[in-house]
Amino acid sequence: MTLTRRSVRFASLPLLLVLLLTLPAPAQAPKSGGVLTIHPLTAPPSLSPHEESTIATVQQVSACYSNLVYFDPGKKQESLDTIIPELAEKWSWQDNYRNLVLLLRKDVKWHDGKPFTSRDVKYTFDAVRGATDADVKLRINPRKLWYENVEAIEAPDPHTVVFRLKRPQPSLLLLLASGYSPIYPAHVPLADLKTTCVGTGPYKLKEYRPGEFVEYVRNPDYFVKGRPYLDGVKWVYIKDRSTQIAALQAGQLDVAGSGWNKANAETAKKGKPELVVVENDSNVNDNVLVNAKRAPLTDPRVRRAVNLALDRKAYLVGPRLGAATFGGAMQPRPSGVWGLPAAEVATLPGMGDPAKQKAEAKRLLAEAGFGPNHPMKLTVSTRALAIYVDTASWMVDQLRQVGIDAVLEQIETGVWHPKMTRLDFQVALNLTGTAVDDPDAMFFENYRCGSQRNFSGYCSEEIDRLMVEQSQTLDRAKRVKLVNEIDRKLQTEGARPILGWAKQYAVYWPRVKAFPQHENSIFNTSRYQDVWLDK
Amino acid sequence: MRGYVTKRLLIAAVTLVGMSMVIFFLMRLAPGNIVDILFESAGYVDQADKKQLERELGVDRPLVVQYARWVGEVATGDLGKSYRYDMPAWKIIKPRLPVTLELAGLALLFSIVLGVPFGVLSAVHQDRPLDYVLRVLSLAGLSMPAFWLGMVVILVFVRSVGWMPSVTYVSPFVDLKANLWQFVVPALAVGYRSSALIMRITRSAMLEVLREDYIRTAWAKGQRRTLVVWRHALKNASLPVITVIGIEFAFLIGGLVVTETVFNLPGVARYLVDAIQLRDYPVVQNLTMFIAVVVVLANLAVDLLYAWADPRIKYGKA
Repeated sequence: MTLTRRSVRFASLPLLLVLLLTLPAPAQAPKSGGVLTIHPLTAPPSLSPHEESTIATVQQVSACYSNLVYFDPGKKQESLDTIIPELAEKWSWQDNYRNLVLLLRKDVKWHDGKPFTSRDVKYTFDAVRGATDADVKLRINPRKLWYENVEAIEAPDPHTVVFRLKRPQPSLLLLLASGYSPIYPAHVPLADLKTTCVGTGPYKLKEYRPGEFVEYVRNPDYFVKGRPYLDGVKWVYIKDRSTQIAALQAGQLDVAGSGWNKANAETAKKGKPELVVVENDSNVNDNVLVNAKRAPLTDPRVRRAVNLALDRKAYLVGPRLGAATFGGAMQPRPSGVWGLPAAEVATLPGMGDPAKQKAEAKRLLAEAGFGPNHPMKLTVSTRALAIYVDTASWMVDQLRQVGIDAVLEQIETGVWHPKMTRLDFQVALNLTGTAVDDPDAMFFENYRCGSQRNFSGYCSEEIDRLMVEQSQTLDRAKRVKLVNEIDRKLQTEGARPILGWAKQYAVYWPRVKAFPQHENSIFNTSRYQDVWLDK
Repeated sequence: MRGYVTKRLLIAAVTLVGMSMVIFFLMRLAPGNIVDILFESAGYVDQADKKQLERELGVDRPLVVQYARWVGEVATGDLGKSYRYDMPAWKIIKPRLPVTLELAGLALLFSIVLGVPFGVLSAVHQDRPLDYVLRVLSLAGLSMPAFWLGMVVILVFVRSVGWMPSVTYVSPFVDLKANLWQFVVPALAVGYRSSALIMRITRSAMLEVLREDYIRTAWAKGQRRTLVVWRHALKNASLPVITVIGIEFAFLIGGLVVTETVFNLPGVARYLVDAIQLRDYPVVQNLTMFIAVVVVLANLAVDLLYAWADPRIKYGKA
């Protein structure tokens, strides 16, 4: 058979067609205009992120402020490699990671027209680290701990800032890139920033009604030319979950999903199949606080029995509806940067064969003197919010399966943290999220001896030493090894057993484009300068 | 009459003072305070800072001193500062009052407009098909919680026409039409329950009156049906109906929490629950006092309306 030129042409037509169909569509050019209406997790208690520790504030003020550096909104995973310049054009480490020198942009104005300078940076971080010579003092300072390694901040000229550290700390850049680290205006009274926002970000505050909404309009003087695309952003607080879903389906919201579980996202999609549902990993974990200072949990056998009794696979299909991943104290890979290897996670307590683990838990309890004739009584405390209660109720059931006489105690939000801080509980179900996926943020805050957020009261001098060691380790591979070593010890000792890492959902209309979502933090994505509406 | 009103107002003042004490001291009995919440939820507690904040907010003072300060401030029109939002409590409360008053007012209007005529018709057509239909409707109204009904209505609208009332408050002074669209559905949901109650009370009161001798005399004299029913009978049956309407209005002002939540209306009731959870004492105390004032005034209005409805009732005479 001979192939004529014509037959070759004819034969290649379908191939060409397939090729054309499989080629990616040309990227749409962003359109300007429109207001993005979005639903937050909850109403912000104030507009001052440096004085709050809730995502609600960070989420709803990020559009107004700028950081020195920020995480690239287009990259799914946050790490040192995805940090981009914002108010700092360039930066460099000097003196073996003891000094961080940042060169600032010269074309930046505050929303009230005043020029931005290095004085604003020094003012902000002196206040946050609680420096004795700071111009102002934050009434509440939740992230003072983040900057305890900063010895001094210098502003040698209006466009240069130097962070001088006590010891090397490469992760400082990550902390500076967090949504919790915006630069405040030195010329605006600190107290005013609770109810207003004067920033350098892509949007200016139009109106704030506590408990109702936060509304922004485009900042025409934004230092990134051609941005933002939107005319404005409006965060509308809707308390009721069913109303949130209905408002999204009715088109009153462009984006929703903050705090939604898989079932909520599926319900919304079922009503309006054209909605886009994106499932991502998140850096929020469900963990068990075991109070080792209160009997009978003073006995390590009892603590281990509690840990083994909680079948992680049942947790995944039960309270989390299949939407979670397993890991240790650090967010699991591949979405997380520092997590334990998957093979090792599979061997952690609670991950094995449920029947065998429950039998082992019963044996340990019997050794500790508890059995059918003398059941151990245990109160499982949790916050009186659905997302907590669902998992805590499941825990009670699991504990009863090994003969523990467990009861559920629901704690009102107003007294939850004080009760945890006082270690006024036996076992508690808690949710923990950190602003950045970094061991310096996670370990120091939640596991260090004496830390205010170390709710289980776990304390190990060795772990504290290793925490400092990993923090100043410059070699990445070596640091990962150290972080894994710490995590392994924390899991083996049951410092704060991790049940799993919840997935998060963003549900939006197809008209919303370039909506940023990160897999290892829910705190650092709400600047929205690149988001646009196709309508 | 004037003497009676003055006396009632004095009693109302004493009642309100008693209420203020109950509100103030009950709030302090609940465990946890705002300073604990502000500090410990932030995961950072500096005992010196905490003491300083307690001093600033005045929560370190003896309860009697705190109470006296609050009463003194309210007497001079100062509602204090919201602990949570660090802004004047009045600035938070003020925009919420018209929302709740409009919702409660519209709901009451619907309940009267539906409840009274249907109650009369039901009584007049006793044990006939119309009576049965109206009784079933009223029973359904009493059985279905307003928030559930509201949610169902929202879902039906969203599924069938892709519309629901606005989730952000629209002032009537900005856009009256949009405002009415926003309030009609929740007001009907709430008003339906109240109308069912009013209808049942109207029906039973009417049945009693329709059997009175003077009504029989009116029929015997050949008076027109509408005149007998709507003028003679209804006016004489209205005392219990007025009582129920007064109670319903007072209930609506403080009892709209769930409806305001479902329809995302930024009213007083919804915010009160949030403020209680946050131990935001100035806001809770002042909002609760506002509700107490409405209840007391509604009761006074009901008593005064009795005299209009029944001329035999004379105030101010022994």
